[in-house]
Amino acid sequence: MGQQGGRPHREVALISESKSSRMSYPHKLSAIIELFAGLSDAEKRETLISYADQARLQEPKEGEHFDLEDVRKDEECTDTVAVFLRLDEKGGGHFRVTLGPQVQTLTRAMSSILCKGLDGITPADVLSIPADFVPKIVGAELVRLRSQTVYYLLTRMKGVAKVWLQRQRQSSLEKDDAVSE
Amino acid sequence: MLPMITTEAMSIDTNYAHPEALVSTAWVSEHLKDEGIRIIESNEDVLLYDMGHLPGAVHIDWQRDLQDHTIRDYIQPESFAALCSKNGITPDTTCVFYGDKSNWWSCYALWVFRLFGHDKVKVMDGGRDKWIAEGRPLTRELPHFTASSYPVPPVRRDAEIRAFYDDALAQSRSKLPLIDVRSPGEFNGQVTHMPEYPQEGVLRGGHIPGAHGVPWKQAVNADATFKSAAELQKIYQTDLGLKPDDEIVAYCRIGERSSHTWFVLNYLLGFKKVRNYDGSWTEWGNRVGAPIEKSL
Repeated sequence: MGQQGGRPHREVALISESKSSRMSYPHKLSAIIELFAGLSDAEKRETLISYADQARLQEPKEGEHFDLEDVRKDEECTDTVAVFLRLDEKGGGHFRVTLGPQVQTLTRAMSSILCKGLDGITPADVLSIPADFVPKIVGAELVRLRSQTVYYLLTRMKGVAKVWLQRQRQSSLEKDDAVSE
Repeated sequence: MLPMITTEAMSIDTNYAHPEALVSTAWVSEHLKDEGIRIIESNEDVLLYDMGHLPGAVHIDWQRDLQDHTIRDYIQPESFAALCSKNGITPDTTCVFYGDKSNWWSCYALWVFRLFGHDKVKVMDGGRDKWIAEGRPLTRELPHFTASSYPVPPVRRDAEIRAFYDDALAQSRSKLPLIDVRSPGEFNGQVTHMPEYPQEGVLRGGHIPGAHGVPWKQAVNADATFKSAAELQKIYQTDLGLKPDDEIVAYCRIGERSSHTWFVLNYLLGFKKVRNYDGSWTEWGNRVGAPIEKSL
């Protein structure tokens, strides 16, 4: 994973405080979950298709800079899935995702949903979100048919958030050591 | 009445053992509305059909439609008959399969149709990707066919084209041809599934003792079409030493990629005794006491 620039101590503290609040879902994600909650499985599929159609809107925009990027390519099967994370001045995270042409439709849909639903929350909060909302969105049938695919992008985003937090903690420790010396 | 199918018109290599089992995108385009033909899409991507499909194509999902959901097995003949009836398929219907992933799942669905004795089957060479690359039309409109009367097949022909664990074990012990069509990393035991791919839950990596690693991908071109008869003969006969009368078992992880190789060996090269071990590595790699070979 590539990283650009560092983060001040203040944001680590914010992450810590935020984690202690123990919220279940961020409000943007809650709104999406509620939208899906009232739909039949067939309507869920149609709505997922709509989200998949919008996946390209979540790609990085020209001139955007990111704090962390995770690009992985698998020629045998899926395709390139790149996850980008930018932190704003308040410590809120903003994800962008690019998807290769062979990436599955469910993953496309989830990229739209997660980029929107997780927008603005801290990496620590991304890590603490329980994955149990995924079946509520995609429906029982699709979870049964493709149990792993539906969690793929959330796992990737959590992985990016985790790496970012680890690097922040390491950076924080090194600065503390420098001060004590 | 079906139109005459000429291999020349299909742009299909006439040197294949059964060139009539493969049709080109151009041929399918000309026969989308033919009575007696049903176009069937089968994909890895469960929502891909909903994103757009060939006009008139029906969707058969390898899990939802072909698997029994209470035991690890395929549907029973009654359910197969119901599936065909629902899609307006009769025993005389020629089923043309296509899909994503270089036709893995279309070959898998075709193989399941063969299990139930439906022999009028073809694959669209190049699959969905080639159709799209050529700028051919897709639609989101769902086709509606009058339900047909499909008699319940008397048996499922497992013994002819399907191998079970005991068959694969016997094959290994007898040193008869076992073809592992997974990627090299899966074959040598470095990984238990393809990178970035759903983990099917297997506990051990490696391959069945004595198996030859011949990745399915060797049989296709960059545009997902099958390689020529001469190229396939070189891979499987000249280099690997297989003979048309050999008893061969192919396997992969869950039986989809090995269906692709089964199609190549059976239809394109004319091998007569090829079976697909659909339990594949998810069964073998989890089975208590199953011998495993690694080549790290």
